[in-house]
Amino acid sequence: MERENRFWRVVLLVLPLSVFAVFVVWPLFSSFWYSFTDWNGFDPNYAFVGFDNFVRIWTDRLFYGAIVNTALWMVAAILLPTLLGLALALLLDRQIRGARIFKTIFYLPICLSAIVVGQIWTWIYQPDWGLLNAVISFVAGEPFTHAWLARPGSALWSVIVAWSWQQTGLSMVIYLAGLTAIPSDLLEVCDIEGASPWQRIRRVVVPLLIPSTIVVIALSVINSLKGFDILYIMTGGGPFHSSDTLAMHMYNESFKKYLMGYGSAISVVLFLIALVIIGFYFRQLKRLDEIYG
Amino acid sequence: MTCFNRRALIACVAGAVMAATGISVSAQDNEVTITHYFTGDLGLKALNEQIARFEEASGYVMRNSPVGHEDFKTDILVRASGSSLPDVFSYWAGARVQFVVDSGSLTPIDDMWDREGLDDVVAKSIADSATLYDGVRYLVPFNYHYAGMFYNTQVFADAGITELPGTWDEFLEVAETLKNAGVTPIALGSKYRWPAQFWFDYLLLGTAGPDYRAALMNGTARYDDDEVSRAMAMWKDLADRGYFAANANADTWTDASDRVARGDAAMTLMGTWITGYWNDIGLVPGDDYAFFPFPVIDESVPVSVVGPVDGFVVSAHGNNPEGGKAFLAFMMSDTDVQLAWTNAVGAVSANVNVDPANYNDVTQNVIATIGASDNFAFNYDLATPPPVAEVGLSMFAEFMDDPSRVDAILEQAASDAASAFTQ
Repeated sequence: MERENRFWRVVLLVLPLSVFAVFVVWPLFSSFWYSFTDWNGFDPNYAFVGFDNFVRIWTDRLFYGAIVNTALWMVAAILLPTLLGLALALLLDRQIRGARIFKTIFYLPICLSAIVVGQIWTWIYQPDWGLLNAVISFVAGEPFTHAWLARPGSALWSVIVAWSWQQTGLSMVIYLAGLTAIPSDLLEVCDIEGASPWQRIRRVVVPLLIPSTIVVIALSVINSLKGFDILYIMTGGGPFHSSDTLAMHMYNESFKKYLMGYGSAISVVLFLIALVIIGFYFRQLKRLDEIYG
Repeated sequence: MTCFNRRALIACVAGAVMAATGISVSAQDNEVTITHYFTGDLGLKALNEQIARFEEASGYVMRNSPVGHEDFKTDILVRASGSSLPDVFSYWAGARVQFVVDSGSLTPIDDMWDREGLDDVVAKSIADSATLYDGVRYLVPFNYHYAGMFYNTQVFADAGITELPGTWDEFLEVAETLKNAGVTPIALGSKYRWPAQFWFDYLLLGTAGPDYRAALMNGTARYDDDEVSRAMAMWKDLADRGYFAANANADTWTDASDRVARGDAAMTLMGTWITGYWNDIGLVPGDDYAFFPFPVIDESVPVSVVGPVDGFVVSAHGNNPEGGKAFLAFMMSDTDVQLAWTNAVGAVSANVNVDPANYNDVTQNVIATIGASDNFAFNYDLATPPPVAEVGLSMFAEFMDDPSRVDAILEQAASDAASAFTQ
């Protein structure tokens, strides 16, 4: 019986493990290998160049720009949806009229693909007839309008806003679920003891929402590391590399300049950064898990 | 029972594997696979019609898988890396084809070229510049385009412009007249960067000439040379005078074309594909729009025209190279195909047997302009290797964002391009 079970375990694992090996493990090791070559992406003849590609990274000004943008992207893409989601959940958790409709509306963007969200916001930001400039023009006058995605100072932030708009609904739903788990007698005690609404949120609600926050941040970290598609559709890293993140820079070097070896070296660095962040995160998660059980 | 299940499972897996591998060897002898980037409404429909003509005439069956223009640039190279290229694919003649030739991904077509007598069919200037790579033929020029100054005739008339500019001073005068009439003289949509390249191409070719430009494209000249600075200073002068529509980097080429079509802007420097786009939205060539060649800056410099050549090439990894060559020969030689195709997409045929009288007035004027020029040059991103082209295209977009930084931008481009040439 045990032998039979072992057979089926192996058989049933063969397919998923093969898919994982072919589509994840093999490309990962291929990237490591190519990062030590001068491969252009399609020529069967290429040379082993040792650490040349990694040395070049240190002199690549676009790489440094991409590092700064990636850091900005990650911090903003984690903080904004988390804080906005919490605020919305606290607002909608009370018995206000139409709360269910608002919850649905705020959650809807997460159901759209990043490409659709990117296109919607590209239209909103369009300088001549976009919604944002139309509102600004109406309220403050035409001199205050701006080419949001076409100027280097605003392109990345404009994408971050679009990203946060989509992700906030997910954080809100997780926090709403967390709020239902807070014992109502605790909140009643707050009322009896005369705690202000701020004290109630600050001292009781937010600390009890820490398990939800862990989930929200975990999802935000994972989603922000994957956040390539919306940037690709809205700016493509432009104008002139001003919104390049590491993933976008890697794509441009590999597929637009045809420097697959160098692009692979960037992907290795990106992989190591992600590894450190996720390793650190799991360590913290384990500690919190020990505290909260 | 267990044994039966186990055998059944193994049989199923084996069957699935055989079925999967069987697909790749089941291609028929008369089947030719093709990938191309003509995916716009006009291009796709017109090409499908020409493909049907080939199928009917030859008995081959074409398996067609189009890919969008921007995605094609990546898609085709990814497929080349996996040796899974289709039998035939469209490609832009010049540095990009050279790049693929260098990787051994293309089949020479000299045998077909001689057999079909294409020397007598393809215009010599195009054949020499677009089809030969390292002395071997790889491409047939399915059509070519020309970049010129396309303008709204009504806007010009309303501003009282009766004489089209032939020289740089006359051009500045026309732009000033338009500006004074309350119209933005020039629309440029450089969101995807490439539309800005025509300004650089013409200003550099018109001041420094084709030999210097070729040196810059192959890395023997530098972006901080006086020749480049002079061309960029003229471009900056136009921007400083307020002749360009605001926020060029927010617009695509069709946005810029729409500005001219609506009369918000007067003209745009664009390829002849704009005629296909405008005709499709109901503009009448000659009545609603026309073009004039880029003005002559220095009479001592040979007159150059700029544009891309769209070609078809045969893959080295395909299953049916002979079918591919037959397709190329038919598409190039058949004058009905050439005429229907080029008229549909607003291009010009490189087939000398196509009578120019079959084109509209604007295209006939384009053909005359090309014929009167001294030199046909590929536009920037097809004339220099792709890693360098990326540097230049970003440089143009950065310049359009803030022309006052031109010196710093050129210095940076010189360093980036020098580094890109060594990669």
